[in-house]
Amino acid sequence: MRGGWRMCLRLRCPFCICPCSHFAFARATFPFLVYKVPRPQGSAFWIPMIQVFASFNLLVAIMMSVNLIKIRKRHWWQSCYLWAVWIGGPLGFGLLLSCRIVQAFQLYFIFVKKRLPPIRSFIFLPLILLPWIAGSVFVHVEKPLNYRCEVSAWWIIPAVSLHLFYVALLVGFMRAIQHVEFKFHELKDLWQGILFSTSSVGVWVAAYILNKIHENVEWIEIASRFVLLLMANIFIQVFFSMSSSQPLLSQMSLRRKQHPEIGSMGKALGISDSEIQSQWEQSIVIDSNEPLDKLLLNKKFRSSFMAFADSCLAGESVRFYSEVHELDKLPFDDSVRRIYIARHIIENYIVAGAAMEVNISHRNRQEILTTSNLAHPDLFKTAVKEVLQLMEMNLAKDYWSSVFYTKFKEESGTNMNGHDLELLTSWNASPRLSSVHAADDPFHKGKDIFQREIQLLDDISND
Amino acid sequence: MGQLCSRHQYYKNEDSEENAQAAEIERRIEQETKAEKHIQKLLLLGAGESGKSTIFKQIKLLFQTGFDEAELRSYIPVIHANVYQTIKLLHDGSKEMAQNESDSSKYVLSTENKEIGDKLSEIGSRLNYPCLTKEIALEIETLWNDSAIQETYARANELQVPHSGYYFMENLHRIADANYVPTKEDVLYARVRTTGVVEIQFSPVGENKKSGEVYKLFDVGGQRNERRKWIHLFEGVTAVIFCAAISDYDQMLYEDEKKNRMMEAKELFEWVLKQSCFEKTSFLLFLNKFDLFEKKILKVPLNVCDWFKDYQSVSTGKQEIEHAYEFVKKKFEELYYQSTAPDCVDRLFKIYRTTALDQKLVNKTFKLVDETLRRRTLFEAGLL
Repeated sequence: MRGGWRMCLRLRCPFCICPCSHFAFARATFPFLVYKVPRPQGSAFWIPMIQVFASFNLLVAIMMSVNLIKIRKRHWWQSCYLWAVWIGGPLGFGLLLSCRIVQAFQLYFIFVKKRLPPIRSFIFLPLILLPWIAGSVFVHVEKPLNYRCEVSAWWIIPAVSLHLFYVALLVGFMRAIQHVEFKFHELKDLWQGILFSTSSVGVWVAAYILNKIHENVEWIEIASRFVLLLMANIFIQVFFSMSSSQPLLSQMSLRRKQHPEIGSMGKALGISDSEIQSQWEQSIVIDSNEPLDKLLLNKKFRSSFMAFADSCLAGESVRFYSEVHELDKLPFDDSVRRIYIARHIIENYIVAGAAMEVNISHRNRQEILTTSNLAHPDLFKTAVKEVLQLMEMNLAKDYWSSVFYTKFKEESGTNMNGHDLELLTSWNASPRLSSVHAADDPFHKGKDIFQREIQLLDDISND
Repeated sequence: MGQLCSRHQYYKNEDSEENAQAAEIERRIEQETKAEKHIQKLLLLGAGESGKSTIFKQIKLLFQTGFDEAELRSYIPVIHANVYQTIKLLHDGSKEMAQNESDSSKYVLSTENKEIGDKLSEIGSRLNYPCLTKEIALEIETLWNDSAIQETYARANELQVPHSGYYFMENLHRIADANYVPTKEDVLYARVRTTGVVEIQFSPVGENKKSGEVYKLFDVGGQRNERRKWIHLFEGVTAVIFCAAISDYDQMLYEDEKKNRMMEAKELFEWVLKQSCFEKTSFLLFLNKFDLFEKKILKVPLNVCDWFKDYQSVSTGKQEIEHAYEFVKKKFEELYYQSTAPDCVDRLFKIYRTTALDQKLVNKTFKLVDETLRRRTLFEAGLL
């Protein structure tokens, strides 16, 4: 029996005993590999990846420091300082907690202060890690560890207090954002994180004390190693989540059959389309003499115009307009949902280098990025005006003489009036862009790229 | 075995119609691809406001049916919008300068014009502009003639005032007429930021009316967010026409007011040259806006731009202009040879001095371009 325990803990393969870090890794990369979601920019991508990296480090550090894997020779890289101090501390537990703190910090600024975080996360994260690095350097210099990777009680106390200090910092941020009604599981994740990190520190301390009191009792040693590894595995799973940085992606299940609707933050927040399709909007006559902003209120026209804009690679303007329109449907005092949508719009349409960045002036962009109130109703007003003018001057003319408009007219069952027919036949009725088939929308749901063949099929069947 | 055969026969009969259709599709696709192979693809690339769309309009005017009255009229809202936007930019700019500058008094509007200024600024911030009537035109003219606005215009390089603004201000009364029909020149000056991609197909008919090559010309937006769309156009390009506005050496970008336009053009040119799909593509560099360059070079030295900081002016007047132009041209040539990998050395590279608004010049330039490309095609086919 004892032999059996010993055998199973002397596994040669480290990967078999960290299933949870594999799961975390799979969970992180699933949306990108399977659903072909484009890789997000900046911290929304790196923070989950760093968490996976840190979790893996933590597990391996625990394994190496408790000598779980028996390796014949003593190599330099088996050094206790490397694993227990450096990889377990600043690159493991410390990094995991720091990522969570950075996420809580972002949530605090966005939802409580209602502005974008003043310090970029790639600067904030190393700053937060500094105490860990300083501590590790100090330990490395003093060299208090013995050959069995154990240390005297005088050194344990500051180490534990550093761990607990970070947990306390996380608790502090939590209390600041507790009152916000989050729509995704941000608060739940943070609470879980705090709970498990405190309990894992507790378990670690208990294991240490037990081992010290009953030295050389084998079953205690084995049991404590097992419990530590189990705690570490659970800890990583609990800590890993994407809801703060990527709320839409966190909704996606690993089961492929449930194909998610990830295109619209509005849908995820429960803003239904059919809410406000008023009688007035439905009765708008679609005519080229009407101003574009009035016409775009009609849902069918909007989707026809969007399809046209996509065909000449200018779709982001219409999508931006459409998402701000959804934002305007929300009541003014529902600041939490407004902030979600505002943040989503900023990340996808305003930030320089965003996937669907719109064509607006420097001044308008800076006004939005340095705003002091993300829930303000007029946040995107000047940007939308600029985009509407762009669409009106640029796209609208070509739309009226395009196939998308004729299709729209056919589908809505009305006859074209003389003016529109004139437009169609007057000047160049050739398509604005004929041979390039690429959707500007990175979330395009299987656009049919063999348009030429379909057109030919139509030609043949009409012959 | 017999059963299998008969089943196969059964399917064959069912599918024969579909097979015929499929064969027809195949035939047509083949025809089209063959036809497309003879079409030469030209791309107009360049930074924002470098003149690409103006060249595009010129090509339409020269080689397609030109603009009929309906299409000319369709530019009226654009021209009016340009007028309103220009006067608003200048008015707001003068207010800002009055606050921030040390000798602010020269940027302060005279009292009788303040009200007009605020009214026009409010109109300029609306979504749909009112039609430009004689009354509003008079007010705009009064404001334009105010000394504060003229002082602000002298520093227009710090604001994002389009160059067409000046032209339209000078022609305000003609534009505000009730029966105004824009001239071709007005249409060429009308400024709209391009978004997405536009294409036309044309054939430059030669002097002896023999049909020439068929070209497909693509116009794109030049601002940074538009450039991610360029990649969809990069396959099978015969020639890239890169437009660089050489008069922009003292101006900042529309989408990033901290970056100098000439530096942006330099980096963009470098990036385009290094693209792997352009290994065999000819490059035609249009150094555009020469008319504005001529006027500016005598007032603002080239050294204000980092790239040209080693420039030394030698004389004045026409000689100076030519000297400055040659300097800029040499810089671009150096950049080209630095950014060209050894295996791309034999691709065609030519520089042209253009003023996109001048129809005769563009016609002449394009004829040269056409001849060069034709010679190149023959050369590559081994016939030269």
